[in-house]
This record gives sequence, C-alpha cells and structure tokens, in this order.
Amino acid sequence: MPQKSFAVAMIDALAHSLKTDPNVVVIGAHSFLSDRGLKPEDERALWDAFPDRLIDPPTSEGVCTSLVTGAAMAGMRPFLNYGTATFAYEAFNQIMSEAANVHSMSGGQLRAPLTLHMYAGIRGGGAGQHSSSPQAMYANAAGLELVLPACPADAQGLLRSAIKSDNPTVVITHTRLLSMTGDVPDGDHTVPFGKARIAREGRDVTIVATSLMVREAEKAAETLAKDGIEAEVVDPRTIVPLDVETICASVRKTGRLVTVDEGNALCSIGSEISAQVAEHAFDALKAPIVRVARPPVPIAFSPPLEAHVTPNADKIVAAARKAAQPR
Amino acid sequence: MGQSPRDTLARMLLMRRFEEMVITLARAHKLGRQHLAIGNEATGAAALMQLAPGDLIYTTHRNHGHMIARGVDPGKALAEILGRAGGLCGGKGGTWHMTDPSLGFQSTSAMVGGSIGLSVGGGFALKHKKTGNVAVALFGDGALDEGIAYEALNIASLYALPVLFLCENNSKEGEAQTSRLATKELVAVPKALKIPCTRVDGGDPEAVALAVETALAHVRLGAGPYFLEAQLVRWPGSHQIVHEFTTGVTDVAAAWDDAKASNEHAAWHRTDPILRTARTLIARGILTRDDVTALDNEAAVIIAKARAFAEASPYPKPEAALTGAFVPA
Ligand SMILES: Cc1ncc(C[n+]2csc(CCOP(=O)(O)OP(=O)(O)O)c2C)c(N)n1
Ligand SMILES: [Mg+2]
Repeated sequence: MPQKSFAVAMIDALAHSLKTDPNVVVIGAHSFLSDRGLKPEDERALWDAFPDRLIDPPTSEGVCTSLVTGAAMAGMRPFLNYGTATFAYEAFNQIMSEAANVHSMSGGQLRAPLTLHMYAGIRGGGAGQHSSSPQAMYANAAGLELVLPACPADAQGLLRSAIKSDNPTVVITHTRLLSMTGDVPDGDHTVPFGKARIAREGRDVTIVATSLMVREAEKAAETLAKDGIEAEVVDPRTIVPLDVETICASVRKTGRLVTVDEGNALCSIGSEISAQVAEHAFDALKAPIVRVARPPVPIAFSPPLEAHVTPNADKIVAAARKAAQPR
Repeated sequence: MGQSPRDTLARMLLMRRFEEMVITLARAHKLGRQHLAIGNEATGAAALMQLAPGDLIYTTHRNHGHMIARGVDPGKALAEILGRAGGLCGGKGGTWHMTDPSLGFQSTSAMVGGSIGLSVGGGFALKHKKTGNVAVALFGDGALDEGIAYEALNIASLYALPVLFLCENNSKEGEAQTSRLATKELVAVPKALKIPCTRVDGGDPEAVALAVETALAHVRLGAGPYFLEAQLVRWPGSHQIVHEFTTGVTDVAAAWDDAKASNEHAAWHRTDPILRTARTLIARGILTRDDVTALDNEAAVIIAKARAFAEASPYPKPEAALTGAFVPA
C-alpha cells in the first residue's frame, strides 16, 4: 500500500472525483492544493488538467456557499474549501438554512450534492478566531452529513464518499493532521459513511475519539497498556450518520466509556455519544462516563493558556484511569 | 493638520522599527504568523495621529502599525505578540487581536470584513450619544470582497453615520492580489452608495494627512460617512508565513546615500515610504540628514526598551485560560 500524507490523500480523492465526474468543481482550490506536500510537478499537472474546474474565488464565503448550493441543485457536484473553519461562519445562513434544507423543504424533489471542507482545531497561536472546532454545530443542523477523518486512508476514502454523496456534507480536517502519513489503499479508495473504525482493540475501557483526538487516544492507550489497562479506541469517522451500534458493542465489552472531542464540552460530539450510550447501553456501564473536551472558553493566544485547555493524551489517560477504576 | 512632518516621520520610524523587532522576536521565539505593516507607515501614522480622544477605532489582522501609530505602548504590544502577561490583552489576544480601549481601539478582528461591520455599530452609538466623535474602520482591500462591506457601507450612508472608512489597498494585480473586484475602481462601490470618496497616495504622509483631515471634518460635521482609499506601497514580504527581512533592515542613510540604496533592494528603496518621506523633508530643508538619523536612533532606543520589557514579562498562569469568557457577575 502506498504511504502518503493526510493532505495528499485528500488531494488524491479530489483528483479521482475530478477525473471521473465532469460535474465536480473545486472552489477554493489554492489553499487545498498548494504547499500541501504535493510534488510541484503533480500540482502543476492538476492545475493544467482542470483549468476551469479549480477555482480561486474572492474572499466571499457567503456567496460561495450559495454558489455551490445553487450549482449543486442545478446538477453539479461542487467541493468548497473555506480554509480555516471560522471563515465558514460568514456563510452560516447559507449552510444551515439553505443547503441543509434543500431536500427536505422540497418534499424530496430537490437535492444539493455538495461538499463543504474546512480546517479546524486548536493549531497553535490561533487565538480566539482561528482555533475553532465547530463540529457539534454542524451535527446539530439536521440535513448535513458530518465527516471527521482521522487518518490518511480515511481522509481519502471519506472525502471520496462525501463528493459522491447526494447530500450536503461537511468535512472537517484538523490542521494538525495534514502532515500525518499512513498507508492508503491503491487507486480510487472509498470509505462508506456510518461505519466506525476500531483504531485499537481492548477489553477494559472504550475511548471514542474523533479527528486529531484519535491519534491522542491511541497514544493514551499505549500509556494505559503499560499499566495493564487495555483501551479500545473507536473512531466513528462520521458523526452524521453515527454508528451507534459499533460504539455500544464496544461499551458492552468494556463496560466503561471515555469520549474525546476537541470541541467545547457543552453540547459536544462527546455529549451526543454519551447520551447514545446512556440510552442504548446503560445496563452495560460499570462506571460513570468521562468526557474529555475543551472547556467552553474562547481559546487564548498565549502558549501556556492554549496548552491548558487543549485535550491531549495525558488528559485522556487520566480520564481513562478514572473511568476504569474498580467500583 | 495637528502633527508636524517631523513628528509624523518619527512615528513612521517607530512603526518600522517595531515591525523589524517583531521579525527578530518571531525568529528568536519561534512565533507563528503575523501580518506586518511594513510599507503602511505613511498611511497609519498620518491618519491615526489625527484622531481625537473618544474616537473609536476598528482594525484587522494587520494591526501592529495602527497600534504604534496611535501611540500604544510598544513594550505592551511586543509582550502581547509574545503571549506574555504584561501584554496589552494579558496574552489572550496575540498578534491578531491587540487592543487598547484607552486609545479608542474597540476591535481587532482577524476576520476579513470584521472591522468594517463593527465600525458601523460604533458610528451608530456615537451618533446616538452626540459626542461629535468618529468611528474609524481600517481594513484592507480584501474586505470589499465580503458581503458585509456592501451592507455596512449602505447602512452607514442610509443613516448618515459618523464613520471614516479607511481602506489600505495593497493589492497588486496578478502577483499579490488580495481582492477580486469586478470593477478596477474600488471606490466605485462606496460611490454607488452615495458616500464621498477620495483616493490618496498611501506612501505620502502629507497627502494622507490632508485627505484624512478633509474626511474627518466631513464626518464630524454630521454629514455622514466618508471613504478613503489609501493606495499603499506594497512591501514584498506582506503575505509571508515565515518572516524574513525581505527588503533588509531599514537603513535611513539609503535616503541620501546612493551606494546604500543601490543594492538588491533598490526597487524597494525607491518606494519605501520611510525613505521617500525622509528624502522629501531633507530636500525641502525641513529636516537635515542628522535630524533623520537622530529620529531613527530615538525610535531604535524606544523599541530596544520595549523588547526588554516584553521579554522580561512572564507568561500568564495557565489557569488564566479558564477565566475571562464572561464579565464577572
Ligand atoms: C472571513 C475571512 N476569510 C478569509 C480569511 C483569510 N485571510 C487572511 S488575510 C486575507 C487577505 C486579506 O486581504 P486584505 O483585507 O486586503 O488585507 P491585507 O492582508 O492585504 O492587508 C485573507 C483572505 C480571513 N482572515 N477571514
Ligand atoms: Mg490587501
């Protein structure tokens, strides 16, 4: 299997989509393709191959979102890259009120097959306006699929599925994942939505983590293993749809649950997973659920302040120890 | 015009030496990205030195120059850029969100279009309170790409709000384009909304000062908003991610010493607003070479002290991250 970076895996998914479907267009191509680890000749080849379908728009996130929604409804399959996730707030109406409602409001007559991509997360020095992890907000929209890839293979496979999907799909990439390398299956790899991945098997505690936090959970699991605690790391991969079955099956095995999410703890992805497990596998729980997330405060610029609120492997280890305590 | 050409050049030099110090500190402390105001000095100094107490200022990611131009303590500003407790915002804002309400700074938003929108709210409040003050929106040409610009200009015009819209246009077609407007004439947008507009050479502090004076008089009179486009000299390092001394460390002697001006940065030396202004003032007999050198030395001393203050300032306590989201009850 070829090794590639997360960023290049996503670009490959895009390239496959552009090659196989003439209705795919990329708006916001530059910050998705350039300086992302592609060989210069490969990047040039892409721009040369699709001169009219790789587009750099004005700094107009609002109308660009309307544009891709309208174009999707009229038969195209656009991919919009916002850059930093907070820039998409400029388009909140267009995403939440327009794109998310197209299919339902028309009684199923219309569809908006579009992909909205953004770079999110606490990235180091991003301060209040460049550190958001907005996944829970999009999960809450009703009508948007939400994809959180955590490794290069999933980045390629899930992005490919996002573009093929007939629904509006939000794909959130943690900035710190871009340089991560890993094996990616050859060719036009796809990963279906709604199927969780067991990133590590274990019997003592279930850690459900998303995006960058999967890697932190895997690191935590190694530390825990040295203490004889075998953690099972579950990566849901997509939040909408959510693979409740796989999560609950793991909790039934371990009896203990830690959720890890870089978003604000309040009404977070971790909150939803906790609620699902409480509803569907309450009888299996041997201890209270522990959530690891960022506290609900704006992210400060100063490095020690930022570090204090950033979920990481150490915090996951502490949470797992707490969840795994004998009662 | 309130300030003398000498004071303006002194402030411009302080802005330049400040940003050069930011480059030095960014390397020494491995800082992330900043957006430097090198090349923007003439506009920033000439405009912000004219503001009155009570005027409200809204700025952007490229705010360092505005801070120094308005007279913010450079030590506290550098400390903020280093994320220290002694910084303007106690380390919470950093390079993109420095603010000093005591000098009128209301918002420093890194969202393109942020300042232009909020300034309208400031203008609304000032009009309501009848203070005679103005709200000043500082923004790049890129802000005009955002829908909020149209909405803000329209409502400011409609309600005759006391807002000075000051656009620092550093876009260069092709090589470094930071806006994509269907019209080549940026001021066509405010003009269409019946806002008086002026375009000015942003590298000439006298021209900027005069234009700002006229604009402020109009706004203070209650005649509604005014739009100024300062066409900036573009510093080639403006959109770097990792800072370098792209055009070398400024040597004011390049204003009169051809040997110093004719190195690989010669093109920049011809347009650099600092050197241009020094040349003009010397040619007119307003300042001597020694005066310019002395002003530059003063700036360097202030910035060296600022650096010492900033580097000696401790980091905030980590727990400070958990407080401050809300006004205490
Ligand atoms: C809403 C939003 N979209 C995109 C960006 C990314 N961005 C940062 S600086 C910049 C260019 C801004 O150009 P301009 O306003 O002209 O300011 P300049 O940097 O040229 O001084 C962009 C697009 C942003 N900060 N905010
Ligand atoms: Mg610009």
